[in-house]
Amino acid sequence: MDFHLTEEQKMLRESARDFLATECPKTFVRAMEKDDRGYSPEMWKKMADLGWMGIAFPEAYGGIGGDFLDFLLLLEEMGRACLPGPFFSTVVLGGFTLLEAGNESQKKEFLPSIASGDRILTLAHTEPGTTQFDPFLIQLKAQAEGKHYSLEGTKLFVPDAHVAHCLICAARTQGEPSSPEGISLFLVDSGSRGLRWELLKTVARDKQCEVRFQKVMVSADNLLGPLHGGGRGLEKVMSKAALAKCAEMVGGAQFVMDMCVGYAKEREQFGRLIGTYQAVQHHCANMAIYIEGARYITYKAAWTLCRDFPSTKLVAAAKAWGSDAYKRVAALGHQIMAGTGYMEEHDMTLYSRRAKAAEVAFGDANYQRKIVAKEIGL
Amino acid sequence: MDFGHTKEEEEFKKRLTAFLDRELTEEIARQNWEDKGVGPEAREFSRKLAANGFLGMSWPKEYGGQGLSPTYDFILLDEMGKRWGAHVPLDVGYTMVGHTILRRGSEELKRDFLPRIIRGEIEFCLGYTEPNAGSDLASMRMRAVEEGDFYVINGQKTFNTEAHYSEYHWLAARTDFTPNTPKHRGISLFIVDMNSPGIAVRPLWTMSGERTNEVFYENVSVPKSRLVGEKNKGFYYMMEAIDSERNHVFTPCRLTPLLEDLIQYARETRYNGRPLAEDPKIKDQLAQMAVELEVAQLFAEHSRWMESHEIPMTYEPEITKVFISELDQRLVDVGMGILNLYSQLEEGSKWAPLRGRVEWYFLHSFMTTIGAGTSEIGRNVIAQRGLGLPRA
Repeated sequence: MDFHLTEEQKMLRESARDFLATECPKTFVRAMEKDDRGYSPEMWKKMADLGWMGIAFPEAYGGIGGDFLDFLLLLEEMGRACLPGPFFSTVVLGGFTLLEAGNESQKKEFLPSIASGDRILTLAHTEPGTTQFDPFLIQLKAQAEGKHYSLEGTKLFVPDAHVAHCLICAARTQGEPSSPEGISLFLVDSGSRGLRWELLKTVARDKQCEVRFQKVMVSADNLLGPLHGGGRGLEKVMSKAALAKCAEMVGGAQFVMDMCVGYAKEREQFGRLIGTYQAVQHHCANMAIYIEGARYITYKAAWTLCRDFPSTKLVAAAKAWGSDAYKRVAALGHQIMAGTGYMEEHDMTLYSRRAKAAEVAFGDANYQRKIVAKEIGL
Repeated sequence: MDFGHTKEEEEFKKRLTAFLDRELTEEIARQNWEDKGVGPEAREFSRKLAANGFLGMSWPKEYGGQGLSPTYDFILLDEMGKRWGAHVPLDVGYTMVGHTILRRGSEELKRDFLPRIIRGEIEFCLGYTEPNAGSDLASMRMRAVEEGDFYVINGQKTFNTEAHYSEYHWLAARTDFTPNTPKHRGISLFIVDMNSPGIAVRPLWTMSGERTNEVFYENVSVPKSRLVGEKNKGFYYMMEAIDSERNHVFTPCRLTPLLEDLIQYARETRYNGRPLAEDPKIKDQLAQMAVELEVAQLFAEHSRWMESHEIPMTYEPEITKVFISELDQRLVDVGMGILNLYSQLEEGSKWAPLRGRVEWYFLHSFMTTIGAGTSEIGRNVIAQRGLGLPRA
């Protein structure tokens, strides 16, 4: 048992925090909420120069060869800073799917250009029919036509499709609409004919899109992973994405707690610092409990997943706890920040809105508990 | 970061589980856990545990230990807990008092007591709480006055569980009576033979049927050699010991058997022809308990790791304590809900499900957020010591 971070990991965390403090102040976060693109290409380039995009890719593909835990520490800092932009879509949803399912030439073509910051990717996965999160509910059809496939259908909640160079689309090539079998993944150029996106207005003001595929023709060479067998890779990516989201949530929740504790040490009412009141102290203590728990279970689940030990229950438990934790920390934060925290211009609102988006991404606590229930024999 | 065990630790665990599967019974587990009084079977088990080298792994060799990492003791606590919530039979000495003797006791006290603790031969009971000193422990009034080579002690303690079968009282008493001395600066710790003349033990019975005690002192003479560490430093020793005590006493694995019993029950019990395990609400509730048990285990492992590496702890063990004790109550509530009408049936009653164990846990659960410090005080500690919030 060892909870130590290595010196490299500590340095990574510190340099990320410093960089984001300078480059990603809350004014920038707010500006990007209103910006059509939602990120700054100059900053994107700087992040790439720091090696962030390729931190968890093998060196052979232009990466740094760090492990998944290093990557999660970085995401924790991004969650803390509310970093806007397509990092998560590009690296987690795009890069990790390529690593998981791609053949050698696909990896060689895409991963180095992701690492260098030249390519933005995303995953077109959920659909209008996904009224409850379900990784295998795929109805968008891909039909073979000669050496091509024709994709027809609609995807929803596709993050950053508006700026992506390439979308990985999960399509049904066989089987029932919710079966894990019969799913195939395709690399689709965003300039393809028949592909249209539209930005959705979301609580976190992140850039999630509806993407319509109208007879989009994709070469059979752009099939990612086995025909009909994309479900497995998708499942693995969903696990990594859930844990990456957990790390972001831990970082965000930590910021909320730090902010509230700082406020409670300064704000006076009835002639006393509000931090001396037990009610406020207990709110803060509860935040600490939620956050510490979320942090350790995320690390443990990631450690387990990366060693290919059975990790289904732990990953689900981490996302279940983390989703609930961030939501509750945000609610407690609002209670401590009170009226001022309810104002649109206050930082608190950035976090409570993101807590909701993160909670429902890749399965909320209700969904994850169904998986846990199955794992414990129910 | 590493969430696994070393090869040696795995080896130890294998030997240990084989031993426990053979030697530990539900009766022995419950004798200690339910404070029924550690009987001859549990005493015998305690000696066997020691004889097989499972006690004292992490204690210094010079006092009969094996000088290894505290991890081994935590493996022992976890593996015992998984079996009917068992604890080391003579656990107050082993998991609490012994560590303070090692840290603060004179060489004479160490040589006298530590080997016997490690051999599983003696037990202590804590003598802290008084009728007017609960959460505000430092306001205790029990008096210890120096007379020649002795302290003469008078006063009353309450809720001293284990007092009726322990050999020794780990007693906190006031030794500085000068006015205006801050109350926590005038307390000392003593080791008192429970058969000293002038000690009277009276039972108090809890709502879940465990025995705890009131202990009365009338002119009890205690040799000065039984003062632990320095005079008037007792309260500091108690506070510095709390973190390690939390780590050793609040073992999440002890809730595992209850969760497993409930899962089994939900699978085997039918309503309207279908197993309860198919009810979405029951599934969700039990899954949440499984999630929380994972989290609890990580809280414990994190603060144990800090202790093992001598990293200063502030609020980590307190989080473990608050969380596990409240999880105990949530789990019991889920369990009683699943058992529904049958949840009322006590052990020994006709029709009692799961041997009436859930009903007992229910009664017992009212104590978990109070004993060893209330959840409210625990949250004050987390907020003040951990997060640096100001005191009132």
